[in-house]
Amino acid sequence: MEANNYMIEVNNVSMRFNLGIEKGFSLKQGFVDFFSGKKKPPKKDFWALTDVDFKVKKGEVVGFIGSNGAGKSTLLKVVAGVMKPTKGNVKAYGNICPMIELGAGFDPQLTARENIYLNGSIMGYSKELMDQKFQEIVDFSELHDFLDVPVQNFSSGMIARLAFSVATIVDPEILIVDEILSVGDIAFQAKSEQKMLSMIGGGTTVLFVSHSLEQIKKMCDTVVWIEHGVVQKIGGKEICDEYYQYMISK
Amino acid sequence: MFNNIKYVCKKYNFLLRQLVARDFKVKYKRSVLGVLWSLLYPLLTMAVMAIVFSQFFRFKVPDVDYLSYLMSGLVIFNYFSEASNLAMSSVVANFSLINKVYMPKYIFPLSKCVFVGINFLLSQIPLYVILFTSGPGINVYHILLPYMYLCLFLFTLGFGLILSTVSVFLRDMFYIYGVVLNLWTYLTPIMWDINMVSDRPLIAFALKLNPLYWFTYFSRKIILYNAIPEINSWIYCMIFGLGFLLIGILVFKKNQDKFIYYV
Repeated sequence: MEANNYMIEVNNVSMRFNLGIEKGFSLKQGFVDFFSGKKKPPKKDFWALTDVDFKVKKGEVVGFIGSNGAGKSTLLKVVAGVMKPTKGNVKAYGNICPMIELGAGFDPQLTARENIYLNGSIMGYSKELMDQKFQEIVDFSELHDFLDVPVQNFSSGMIARLAFSVATIVDPEILIVDEILSVGDIAFQAKSEQKMLSMIGGGTTVLFVSHSLEQIKKMCDTVVWIEHGVVQKIGGKEICDEYYQYMISK
Repeated sequence: MFNNIKYVCKKYNFLLRQLVARDFKVKYKRSVLGVLWSLLYPLLTMAVMAIVFSQFFRFKVPDVDYLSYLMSGLVIFNYFSEASNLAMSSVVANFSLINKVYMPKYIFPLSKCVFVGINFLLSQIPLYVILFTSGPGINVYHILLPYMYLCLFLFTLGFGLILSTVSVFLRDMFYIYGVVLNLWTYLTPIMWDINMVSDRPLIAFALKLNPLYWFTYFSRKIILYNAIPEINSWIYCMIFGLGFLLIGILVFKKNQDKFIYYV
């Protein structure tokens, strides 16, 4: 680990989804197919990622761009350890804070206060840390008046605020962000972007997916362009312009 | 290896507590009697069964108070059926989490077994109420019961791990298991006595292959007959507990990386 100063190594990662088996087997479906005389569709392999290979240095901010379904989120999930790659491997040297779809761990029936603790535990934080940071989370989310209201009565903007506030209380070594900077109202967007920038300034390594080329240009040192699961180009900010031209001419 | 286990326990202890606490809060939210239901529910179920089986069917167990007999079997079976049922659906129900954050997936079946386990401990209160009011009361051997509780927990957890794995791949399991549990209720001597079939040794033997038979046997030997269970029932309890846990862990571990494609 000391020998190189890479934080993340993604080595020839390929990820296959088997579209045929993905649905799972159901007797009902089997029955329906049997009587309608339909044959089982041939198993189709779908490669969400093919031979993705890159390395990220400590403190580097990497932006991922590409059209919908290009494999960006899958790649982030593989790095976060949520999915195991079919081929290749990922090495991450540091604790990861994945911010992929915030608020997934909220229970709608519980209050904001209860959800802060629940979500914190899901992110892998300790009880002591949560006790210590509780006030900070509430202050950042500005939801003081709604602490004891069940989250099911919250607006989606309020949920996003709460989730962002919980997710960003620690300074992780690796931060994985999937299109979440556009949460809340304008004031909160500015605030959350500020928070992200200060985390980045603090030497955090960031993997960042966004469709806002402006954001990517502003924050990232390196840009990775993925299309159909294949890395098209890795380089500096100029890739954004190339990507833009490509999308326009499509 | 042991350090690793210690680290994982410490790291996910808080998560486990939070998940169990969530289940508790959600379960009793907006109910007037709240946690009191954990005591009332088994009592009422027992009352229904007592009326049906002792009044209509005239079931009797020789030399034993029937209410205590019923209740001691019921709390054990209720724990198993509720915990295994919840554990089965826990992985599928929490898929939105599994898909987004890395965490050990076994924590979901485990948290369900712990959650229902707390309910099980609460349901000991109505059991002891029955033992004192209509049954034989208490004796010193009751201190041996936690051994059986532990084995029951291990067995249920192992079984829950297997069920949750299968149900990810085969959603029909939810329905199938409902029927299986129904059958299992009647195959376990909860309201009837195993001696009723003592004239048919083959059936009696088959019924004794049921792990839940041994857990209830162990418990009743102490509670109803004021005796220490024979050595073989100690061994069977532990074998079923550890054996199923081991199988459960192996099955779960082997398949958990594939879960994500099936939900």
